[in-house]
Amino acid sequence: MASVCIGNLVRNSAKVFRNSYITQVRTPYGLQIRCWNSTTPEPSSKPLTSVPASDTIKHEGSGNQLIKVSKAMKAYQEKAQALDALMFEKTTEYEIGRRHLANMMGEDPETFTDEDIDTAIEYLFPSGLFEPRARPLMKHPTEVFARKKVAEFDETGRPFHVLFYTGLPNYYQVLHDLSEKVRELDSFSDRMMQYNIHKDPERTLNVGGTEWVKKEQLEDILLEKLKDKQYEFFVRSMNRLLDHPFSYRVEEFIMKFRKHVQISVIHKEIPKLMFTAEGTPYMAAVGRRKTSTASVTVYGRGSGKISINGEDLLYFKYIQDREQVLFPLQFSGLLGKVDVVADVDGGGFSGQSGAIRYAISMAVRSFVDEQMMEKMRLAGLLTRDPRRHERKKPGWKGARAKYTWKKR
Amino acid sequence: MGRGLWHRGIVSSSNPVQSAVEPLEKLQESSSDAITEQMAKSLKYPDFFKVAELFTVEDLFNARVHLGHREGSLNDHMSQFIFGSRLSHLIFDLDQTATLLREALNFTAHIAFRGGIILFVGRIPQHQVMIENTAKECGEYAHTRYWQGGVLTNSTIQFGSVIRLPDLIIFLHTMNNVIYEHTAIRDAAKMLIPTVGIVDTNCNPNLITYPVPGNDDSAASISLFCNLFKAAILRGKEKRKELLGVH
Repeated sequence: MASVCIGNLVRNSAKVFRNSYITQVRTPYGLQIRCWNSTTPEPSSKPLTSVPASDTIKHEGSGNQLIKVSKAMKAYQEKAQALDALMFEKTTEYEIGRRHLANMMGEDPETFTDEDIDTAIEYLFPSGLFEPRARPLMKHPTEVFARKKVAEFDETGRPFHVLFYTGLPNYYQVLHDLSEKVRELDSFSDRMMQYNIHKDPERTLNVGGTEWVKKEQLEDILLEKLKDKQYEFFVRSMNRLLDHPFSYRVEEFIMKFRKHVQISVIHKEIPKLMFTAEGTPYMAAVGRRKTSTASVTVYGRGSGKISINGEDLLYFKYIQDREQVLFPLQFSGLLGKVDVVADVDGGGFSGQSGAIRYAISMAVRSFVDEQMMEKMRLAGLLTRDPRRHERKKPGWKGARAKYTWKKR
Repeated sequence: MGRGLWHRGIVSSSNPVQSAVEPLEKLQESSSDAITEQMAKSLKYPDFFKVAELFTVEDLFNARVHLGHREGSLNDHMSQFIFGSRLSHLIFDLDQTATLLREALNFTAHIAFRGGIILFVGRIPQHQVMIENTAKECGEYAHTRYWQGGVLTNSTIQFGSVIRLPDLIIFLHTMNNVIYEHTAIRDAAKMLIPTVGIVDTNCNPNLITYPVPGNDDSAASISLFCNLFKAAILRGKEKRKELLGVH
């Protein structure tokens, strides 16, 4: 049940708002009101938001204690009460529904989780609808009714947050904390300079695989609607903090606003190295580019020999094609350490060299660690170039080029 | 009129309009009377909170409060507060500043004594954090960010519900980032909210209830003013706890 301590209100009733009109409200002693959307676990001792009245007084029915509350405050309290009652009702309904479902499915009602509910609903009400949000849903009321901010001011009308009047207290609080942290780090680095200690490369903050939260996610964290410019400013400011040489000292603060990026699933299934009869590790891969196909075997414990269709690297007349073949080995540092045997067919020299490059990159994955593999992915070595020759269209000069347009 | 007396912004010296308040029950009468009595008593003293003890003219000088801008940017309304100029840099008359600052601090303390909401405003980025920290330390409020138009004049729609507006606004900087005056000065005057403001030589003190002529560009001077206002507010609150029995 919700609670506002009427005792407090009585003690504070002496506050006189000289410039405001005050409502007198009689409430039965012990009336309990609580803001249902409070994030505090237990009911707060301070009542909800308060408001200076600007309306005429209203006199309520008989009660025991006399307290002075503004009319708008009373309206807010009633609204919050109603909301709280609604939430309580919905939550009870949900819990009863959960038990019914559990019985229907033949499961134990005590250990019937939210995921079990989802499965049960999906089973009992199969839906052919495409949009997941249009399908039958049974979620806890707190998820259905959007989470709102806590009551923002107390019974005297004084806001709780220092920056309440800015309109975006949580957002500006983050910026305030950020400024403080930058100052902290600057003074720390000044102290370190006295001892001639500069940035320690070992202790650099590693934010690999993470990126700043998106605008929508930041709005969810702060519970405040932001403008694009405000989000951009936030990101720029956080980057300044991140770029500080001693940013590892405020890792916790930074990580609150960074989320992990999902790496492509394909590259998680890297095949294991195979071994020849002599015990040499090797890996085979197939690569394609335009209309060329290359099947390549990379042998470990080698000396950098390259064989393409029986010939060496001079199979390719042009330097660019030779570079394309060597690039994955040079990038991963295996240039003189592995042997490559490639069979390539189809297409021209450019396509063939591209196919061999892709095949070597895929094979080299097995020889190399995860960090290097991630670097290779970022370098574009592990992306199959999907471009094919585009046909010429009738009435056009080429695939895209048109004939000269004449006005008359 | 004498030095230091100019027409201030709107100060409601008359009794504000009282609603037809129903008389309290006997239960509350005695405590309410005592409180009203205390409040009335506090107004009988010229310096109830002894704010004059908080600073000396030497403190102002050491904090470089007397340093104004160059002669060219002088606002005509500020010339009465200028002592003179040195190598075309204007110097404030710290005696006047001291008197006005004492009045401003006294007023602030009284507002705090009566449980008023005090809002610190200042738009210069270098001092933003300092001002916000000052507000936090004395349990009041700060707004050193972009000023949304309807904060005072359209608060119901701006904040989504009826809210209590500040009872006093303290300007550590009366100017915006650019050469314009802060919107809150005009809006506070519109909403009959008294203001205290540190006015530099390029500022217009007209609409400010308790202007305090002084330097608003040095960190030292802003820091001093922040500490003084904080001390005055804390004194007011202390007395409030002691005499009125409310926190």
